[in-house]
Amino acid sequence: MKQLLYLLLFIFSGFAVKAQNPSFSPSSFTAEDEVTIYIDVTGTGMAGVTDAYLWIFSNPGLSGGADGVTNGSWTNSNEAAKLTPNGPNKFTYKFTGTTMFGQTPAQLKSFGFLLKKKDGSAQTADYKPYFFDPLIFVPSMTRVFPSKVDKDDVVSVNFDQAYAVVPNDQRMTPTTFTVTMYDDMGNTVGSAISWPLSKTNATIWSGSFIPDASFTPAAGRKLMKFKYKFNGTVLDVNGLPVTVSTADTEVTFTSML
Amino acid sequence: MKSIFKIATIPLFAIIVLAGCKPESIRDLGIQRDYLESLNGTWKLTKATQVDEDAAKKGFPFSQLDITGLFPYTDFVFKLDVSAGAPTTFSSTPGASPKIVKLVSGTWTVDNLQYPKNIYLKSGLAADTVSLGGYPVGASATLQLKKEKKDASTGKLLISYSYEFTKQ
Repeated sequence: MKQLLYLLLFIFSGFAVKAQNPSFSPSSFTAEDEVTIYIDVTGTGMAGVTDAYLWIFSNPGLSGGADGVTNGSWTNSNEAAKLTPNGPNKFTYKFTGTTMFGQTPAQLKSFGFLLKKKDGSAQTADYKPYFFDPLIFVPSMTRVFPSKVDKDDVVSVNFDQAYAVVPNDQRMTPTTFTVTMYDDMGNTVGSAISWPLSKTNATIWSGSFIPDASFTPAAGRKLMKFKYKFNGTVLDVNGLPVTVSTADTEVTFTSML
Repeated sequence: MKSIFKIATIPLFAIIVLAGCKPESIRDLGIQRDYLESLNGTWKLTKATQVDEDAAKKGFPFSQLDITGLFPYTDFVFKLDVSAGAPTTFSSTPGASPKIVKLVSGTWTVDNLQYPKNIYLKSGLAADTVSLGGYPVGASATLQLKKEKKDASTGKLLISYSYEFTKQ
């Protein structure tokens, strides 16, 4: 009887773990790959709706954004934007980045989307940003190494001042980096942790950590993503040091075997 | 006279050619190496390298990082026991090092006793696999282990870790 109870507990504990929503297949993809979105709209403004339409856009929060060619107008979505029902409150949609946005792989960094009714009278919140895998190496101010990491990997964050565009980022002397961890419910895990940086190049500062060695999620939860930023000092008009930080960069863990 | 000379030349040529076909003694290749036995012993980690396999495949810069000094990897000690030509037990003592293998102790097997490539570690129901990057034989006294990590949904190789050990 006890064994049966353990078995049932084991089975139902599997159901208790919340799946990532939305999810993508494949989980990593370039702008030239066909990707399928799987989304569950339970608990959103689109719950219970049978006909859902995709409103998709590229590079949210970045320059060079474009609307999806299938969007149509807000009050009259294009039929090409209609998602395929996949059970109650669940939908799928298949697209390829370069075709959807009419942009080159070099122009496409990320995308976001929402689901709406054809006439725009109901919608979900934005789901964003989701990043395309680069086809060419694009240097940037912040970079995580390796480019895809799991919870138990050595994660190195890098700040390359040569690519800073904000005055404080350009002027600061980096000293530490701060990581804020999130679980699969979007809750922060523990407190943010700061570690020292070391200079590895004339313009590059780096620091490393192992996520699951430093952050422990609550029972039944798992580490899902983290945000990191670099901290340093600049001198004010009186020549006194002032602490400044870069904007946060978000990284979602890739499940690996 | 000319035709007699021609006739005599043919068997003479045949004798010269066939004389070169006599069997030669096979050179001694030396003692056959016992790769499995070479793994037997206590090994201490000396170097750890992390490779972004996707970046390496695309020819991107920043595809490899020596992580030995980032964390106390050199604390890690790995013991493999071989008895009667077969793998038996293993133990790992991480100290302050990050986990190289998930298991602390148990039994191990290999995919091929003569030319092992993969090492399968087992402890109860828990299991882990590492592959051999190089045997500690001949001029090389270094045991090289490799651990690969693949995308759970696509099976695409994303990261690999290479570890070098020296015998204690």
